[in-house]
Amino acid sequence: MTRTVKTFWIWCAMFGEKALELVRELKRSQDGNLPPYNDDGIRQVVEEMRTLFEQNQLEVRATTDGERGLLSGIQLRHACLERNQRCLLAYVHHRMTRIRDYRWQTGSVLPPSFRLSLCEQEIQWFTRYNRSLATYMRSIAPTGLDLTQHLQPPKSLLVEVRCLEDYGEFEMEDGTVVLLHKNTQHYLPRSQCEPLIRQGVLEHIH
Amino acid sequence: MSSLTQSSSSTPSYSSGVPSSAAHYRQPPAAAGGAGDFFDLGDILASQQRVPAQFEQTVYRLGFLDAQSSGEHIQSGAKMELPLWLARALGGRRRNIVRIDLPKQYRQQQRDILRADANVVDLFKQGPYFYLMGVKLLFFDHMERSDLAKSLLETFLNRFRRIMDTSHHAFSSDVTMFTTRLDETERVLFHIGQRSVAAMEKWERGRSHRIEASDVVQKRRKRKRED
Amino acid sequence: MEPAEVEFLAEKEQITIVPNFSENKLYLISGEFGPFNPSMQTRVPLWLAINLRQRQKCHIVPPDWLNVDYLTEKKSEEAAESFFTAMPSPNYMEVSSLVLNNAAEDVPKADEVRTLVKDIWDLRQAKLKKGVDQMISQQETFAKLDNLTLMEMNCIRPFLTAALDHLHLLHNHATSYTSSQAD
Repeated sequence: MTRTVKTFWIWCAMFGEKALELVRELKRSQDGNLPPYNDDGIRQVVEEMRTLFEQNQLEVRATTDGERGLLSGIQLRHACLERNQRCLLAYVHHRMTRIRDYRWQTGSVLPPSFRLSLCEQEIQWFTRYNRSLATYMRSIAPTGLDLTQHLQPPKSLLVEVRCLEDYGEFEMEDGTVVLLHKNTQHYLPRSQCEPLIRQGVLEHIH
Repeated sequence: MSSLTQSSSSTPSYSSGVPSSAAHYRQPPAAAGGAGDFFDLGDILASQQRVPAQFEQTVYRLGFLDAQSSGEHIQSGAKMELPLWLARALGGRRRNIVRIDLPKQYRQQQRDILRADANVVDLFKQGPYFYLMGVKLLFFDHMERSDLAKSLLETFLNRFRRIMDTSHHAFSSDVTMFTTRLDETERVLFHIGQRSVAAMEKWERGRSHRIEASDVVQKRRKRKRED
Repeated sequence: MEPAEVEFLAEKEQITIVPNFSENKLYLISGEFGPFNPSMQTRVPLWLAINLRQRQKCHIVPPDWLNVDYLTEKKSEEAAESFFTAMPSPNYMEVSSLVLNNAAEDVPKADEVRTLVKDIWDLRQAKLKKGVDQMISQQETFAKLDNLTLMEMNCIRPFLTAALDHLHLLHNHATSYTSSQAD
């Protein structure tokens, strides 16, 4: 039994390396875009954890059966287990924070480029978060209150904007439709085009 | 993802990523931007840095960790460089599987250099998490512990003024050279200062009222331009 | 807080305008203002004054401190004192910025006034940095700084609190590990 365990471990280098790679990947990306969800990496770390755990189970049982000298090995493996767990949780948590920040800074719709970086569960989380936020915002005032708007105090009711891409038709609250073609300029109510500016569709000129 | 919720037979405490019996030592939260030390990426990376350690007991069946020996077990007396998180799990209070030594950059000689003039030292090279790691080293009951603690504090106090002053200066090559010698904590501090100044200048020029695309969008645009 | 948010709070301060239109009293949340009659001075909140000025419906009467004479004396006073002197308005920076940017024609020697305000701001900033440096290097847990305005405090707040957090971390460790402490 010892031999098979040893053979397996030679291949495994130092514990926690893969988990750390995940953390490093996120740290590197802090000033850039969110990297795609590292499914493979996570799976490898969970595998390592499973093996460590099973080995520890065996040795704990052996110790209760009377074998001596195994405690330090058990402690070491346990430390590695916890380290892996911490790295994985931090990975998931950090991504969750960034996805949540996306909702507040940009909007409730995930553009395909951002969506690609998210795993299925993260997309589901975003949808549920959106829903919770919308429910809450509807409940705090008779007509609802968009908390994600006016992140800076507004200076005017209307703003002059330039369209940066071909967005198409945009329906205003009063029913009028504006055609947002690239390079056209418009004079629109601030509250209604703020989300489009934040998403990069429009540019605030004045 | 559901496999993560499988609980192990012993439920470890999560308060500081350290096995539960050592949780009585409460690590203060990572400062200057750390959002609580458990989830903080910087704190995880800081605790990854290696520290010289000597095994005081034989550890069975994990001999493969010792690159210098080919034995099945780690012999008592074996010396290895271990990541701080592992050294902490195996050494320190109530655990004496390993005994640690201070890494070079925290020893007397380096502390003397810092005392002479803390401002000339490249703390990023010594780190990059010089303060965070230094604080973590204080966990171990080491002869030079109180000296090290004082040294960390004094180093920060001596470097602080220059960090504050430079963060208020406009972006320039001198400034970049300055920041390359700051450790991660100092860098965060520096950027906080810079951001306040930039926000103030933007307001003075009357550009604060302009709504801007969100950070995510701006980063994506920047990346597209660079491609 | 963002400077824009500090400015938003400052806009509540009242200022004198000379309207060129007629209007009955306005009943706003912050109070009653008006009635408005051409050439009759009246007090309104700054945000309203700026809005009216932008639509060319009034002129702004600069506050009695927003002029070269007062500010020149204030600047010497500020330079002579090692502490912060009391400012004529707790929002001097915001008020002068808004008035000068939107109604420069209403302020005599506007450029000179602008420079003087900036000079006073810079003098106070230098004192603030000195105070912060002292606070950190002497490891003081609190400092009493009278007469600081919100905009000035806001500039230094993120940096100072982050630095103090880090200092606190290091300080705790330095004091808790005396060489005689047993494990």
